[in-house]
Amino acid sequence: MSGELTKAIADLEENEALRLAREKLDSGEDPKSILEESRNGMEIIGNRFSDGTYFLPELIYSAEILKEITEIIKPALKEDAQAKTSGKCIIGTVAGDIHDIGKDIVVFMLDVNGFEVFDLGVDVPPQKFVDKIKETDAPIVGLSGFLTLAFDSMKETVEAIKAAGLRDKVKIMIGGGQIDEDIRKYAGADAYGQDAMKAVSLAKGWI
Amino acid sequence: MTIVSGIHISLDKRQVLRREGIRQQSSVKPEIMALIDELLASTYDKHLLEPAIAYDVYAISEVGHDSVQLDNSTEIRSASLSSLISGGRELTVAVCTIGPKLEKQVTDYLGGREPLRGLLLDGIGSAAVDSLVQETCRLMQNEASLRGYQSSSPISPGIPGFPITEQWPLFQLVPSEEIGVRLAPSGIMVPRKSASMVIALGEQVTVRKQGEACARCNLSKTCHYRLVAK
Ligand code: B12
Repeated sequence: MSGELTKAIADLEENEALRLAREKLDSGEDPKSILEESRNGMEIIGNRFSDGTYFLPELIYSAEILKEITEIIKPALKEDAQAKTSGKCIIGTVAGDIHDIGKDIVVFMLDVNGFEVFDLGVDVPPQKFVDKIKETDAPIVGLSGFLTLAFDSMKETVEAIKAAGLRDKVKIMIGGGQIDEDIRKYAGADAYGQDAMKAVSLAKGWI
Repeated sequence: MTIVSGIHISLDKRQVLRREGIRQQSSVKPEIMALIDELLASTYDKHLLEPAIAYDVYAISEVGHDSVQLDNSTEIRSASLSSLISGGRELTVAVCTIGPKLEKQVTDYLGGREPLRGLLLDGIGSAAVDSLVQETCRLMQNEASLRGYQSSSPISPGIPGFPITEQWPLFQLVPSEEIGVRLAPSGIMVPRKSASMVIALGEQVTVRKQGEACARCNLSKTCHYRLVAK
């Protein structure tokens, strides 16, 4: 039944969601539409997260369920559909900062939403972002940072991207506990996101 | 200088949930609560917490409006500290840590594509540091009462009015390497699940209510991880 899978994911019924996905696959349903239905569930989760019904652990839990479903149906997807379609994205915690957990969650959420993510890790110098943009042609760059000193590192990273002549080729989003609109302006980024859901919606909007 | 180890940390589930940004326990999915229980149990079974505190007590020689001078002529620059210790005689400088094991396990979970476990265990680690900070405050209360003094609320470099660069002079004053804590070039401590603080001892020192720390923080309006609800 259409909608059941969406609901199971939205209600975080892991076993039920996996059972439904397998059942649909076995009964010959188009794997792409199964994926579509699952992603609709994530959308509901996103709304519940935004209105405060769900918290970060629930968001991650739902993404893990979606990941499992993707693994189940992947072999049945045609090769062209198997290739990541949403787009490429480079992410890292900027120089001087070593906070990784917020960034890792953003990486995971982008990944389950179909992005090909290049995670540069923590304490990433500006040049490394520049090199990775050249190497991958990724059109989206995400900078994470939780410390006050990360504001300057973000600015320096944006400037390095500009100096390399790549600023027009990429959209840059920033995030981390202290990041707000003032810091976005200061750093010269295109947008900021207060959570991983926002990171996904920004990235989707740029593709 | 004093090193305290072998401390038992008992974790309150509410504190763990706060560190996950959750305020209403009742609204949390039972599966997630069960996972928190499991991770809490494994934190103890696998001995992921190795709590230790290092501290030393120094006499204060002068309190300026944005700096404090100690008897050994170390200067600590902080307007927040000055306002906290107006009646302080002595200053304790403390560093505490739960050690590197828990965060290694968090990294393994995240790398092993188990982000939920990684996130929840990270929250447990932060709650453990909170609890260790409380323990440090209790120790300082003892130090204070031995001297017939009171102890102030703690304040930490990195909060508004106390630049993170002050970690460097503070780390000259505590034998933090003995508990395995060092400073990275940015002034951040390694292991990550560590905290540093100063506490004033004196006849009349400032003691703030829990919520006041949140009220004074630059993130008071937006933080998901407040100590006290808005
Ligand atoms: C938990 C915490 C701790 C814990 C754990 C720290 C750790 N690294 O593991 C403990 C208690 C140990 C701690 C200690 C300290 N802390 Co602390 N800590 C925090 C806190 C509350 C959360 C940080 C965190 O990791 N959150 C986890 C993630 C998952 O949270 P999140 O923000 O919800 O993540 C989302 C968004 O940020 C977003 N996002 C993240 N990256 C990106 C990227 C993009 C592109 C986008 C779009 C979105 C995005 O998506 C994420 C997922 O939804 C912050 C305050 C805050 N509210 O951020 C202070 C904070 C980072 N700490 C601070 C300080 C000062 C310290 C100490 C220096 C205090 C001290 N002297 O002891 C120490 C330093 C520790 C060390 N190793 O040196 C300051 C730093 C200020 C500064 N000057 O730079 C902060 C900002 C608090 C404050 N306002 O004072 N801390």
